Amino acid sequence: MIFRDAVQTATRSLRHGKMRSILTMLGIVIGIASVIILMSIGKSAQDYILNQVQSVGSNLMFVIPGGSNNGRLSSPAASQGIVITTLNERDVTALLREPSISAVVPEVRGQADVIYGDNDVVEGYEGTTANFFTVRNMQLEKGYPFTQNDVVSENHVAVIGNELAKTLFGQFVDPIGKFIRLKNVSFRVVGVLIPKGTGVGGVDIDNLVIIPTTVAQHELLGINYYNDLNVQANDAYDINFVKSRLAFVLQHNHGITNSAKNDFTIQTQADILSILGSITSVLTLFLAAVASISLVVGGIGIMNIMLVAVTERTKEIGLRMAVGATNRDILEQFLIESVFLCFFGGIIGIAMGAIVVTGIYFLVTGFTTVAWTFAFPISAVVLSLVVSTVAGIAFGIYPARKAARKNPIEALRYE
Amino acid sequence: MINVIDLQKEFLEGETPTPALRGVTFSIAKGEFVSIMGPSGSGKSTLMHLLSFLDRPTGGTYTFFDKSIDDMTDIELAHVRNKDMGFVFQSFNLLAKLTVYDNVEIPLLYSDVAPAQRRALIEEAVRSVGLEEKLYVEAGRLSGGQKQRVAIARALVTEPNVIFADEPTGNLDSKSGIQVMEILADLHEKGRTIVLVTHETRTAEFADRIIYLEDGLIKSDTEVEKSNISKEAPLK
Repeated sequence: MIFRDAVQTATRSLRHGKMRSILTMLGIVIGIASVIILMSIGKSAQDYILNQVQSVGSNLMFVIPGGSNNGRLSSPAASQGIVITTLNERDVTALLREPSISAVVPEVRGQADVIYGDNDVVEGYEGTTANFFTVRNMQLEKGYPFTQNDVVSENHVAVIGNELAKTLFGQFVDPIGKFIRLKNVSFRVVGVLIPKGTGVGGVDIDNLVIIPTTVAQHELLGINYYNDLNVQANDAYDINFVKSRLAFVLQHNHGITNSAKNDFTIQTQADILSILGSITSVLTLFLAAVASISLVVGGIGIMNIMLVAVTERTKEIGLRMAVGATNRDILEQFLIESVFLCFFGGIIGIAMGAIVVTGIYFLVTGFTTVAWTFAFPISAVVLSLVVSTVAGIAFGIYPARKAARKNPIEALRYE
Repeated sequence: MINVIDLQKEFLEGETPTPALRGVTFSIAKGEFVSIMGPSGSGKSTLMHLLSFLDRPTGGTYTFFDKSIDDMTDIELAHVRNKDMGFVFQSFNLLAKLTVYDNVEIPLLYSDVAPAQRRALIEEAVRSVGLEEKLYVEAGRLSGGQKQRVAIARALVTEPNVIFADEPTGNLDSKSGIQVMEILADLHEKGRTIVLVTHETRTAEFADRIIYLEDGLIKSDTEVEKSNISKEAPLK
């Protein structure tokens, strides 16, 4: 039997049982649509997270107190809640003398009641220097950022997140020039950030209060060390060279001679992107693996229906064998039917997945401020088509072999 | 064309071998019309299955055009069935949702006839059974007699050397039965070899020769005296 005839015979059989073919395909349609939807959402989420990291600024490195034994995924001690006081003003001064470094931004953090009038919310605050806004690409919707003079003079000024401004002041009150209180210390609001979402380390920038480091250290926290340093590399230097210089300066300052005993961890933007990329990729694969369970269930459904079809069409099989079909011809016919069901089920599943992913995109971008990107990975489409075809073969082979092994005499007698 | 010597067939019923054919010997020449008769359980259907290569014997020899069935693989048997044999069954075995055209095409799908050449063969076969106006009608919508005529067209379409007809009138009324037998007789007159299995004497007498089986053995092998037969008499 030539392949064209085998295909025509299979499609004719499927056409004659339209309702059955559609119901049989349903399992694969749902399975493939699930894989497409979850892989696309996973990719969008990955792009969103990576964009957030990239948006903090280029050539940026983060110095976190505590060593991490250079393990790629091991977190430094400060990230584990251990208070380490080794990063201080002396380090900032020393790093600013290094030619390969163009800016150093120290950060301290805490949490407090933020009060304006009768409005009272518990939010995080961040003490930093004036160049924080340029180094971290923080743009303002209203007002202006505080200056280095404000930091040195320990002025009580604050820049607040976009969401927090709405919570405290509502739609109709301009926050600029108004006074808010943190731990009974008053701050004059000088600027409101544009919506930014969640930043590095899960900091909710839209609900953040940013104040001068000096005020945060001396009046709110009572400390003289920093929680971390943001270091911007000089564009003229290679980032890895700057990283080594940064390490050298800190080791010298902290009296460390063995780099295995570093009391700090340096993370470049590339390190963070790489770690997050790995995590989100694994999560996407995990989601796809979960979705593929429904694909297996759909495949088993196809196998069941094909087995029923083989029994129902026993007489047809007997006739075809009597008039010259070989076992291979019968096997091919049923296998092609199964592959067609899965393949076209796959195509419909991809189309359904595309519709749902597009719907999610419009929902998220239309009703939230999340900078969601539309992702419909070609790899997911190719994978779905390959998987559905392979499922057709895998789940069709048993019924097809069963059909091909029928005894023609018994098949002809079957009622 | 067909040479059978001491042909035997045993079936296993559980562990016990049960003989269905206990050694039959005969020949069928090209162009003959032979009926195989016998009571139920005589082995006539078993003999038909062996002669039409749907089954293999457990003893004896069977040569078809001087080639022994024992020397052929299952694939070769399938090719011979397709090229040299046509089949007409009691229950028609048509695919009800396919048209007459598509049903008649089925044997050609497994042949070496190119798709472009098929239409002429199908139309000729359907014309020869007088159903050309039903070519694109679904087989399920036809009457019993028409269905059997489609089955004959399907058996003819590959222009086989021999047509095996297994109780072809068994599911038909008397008038349709006669029509079908007349078509087979006409094919025989045009030189086609026909082997017919039946338990009806009137149907069997359309042949030139009747082989009568009983308990798996040939009881008689006689020529039919044509002058004694009235083809107008009802079958059965």
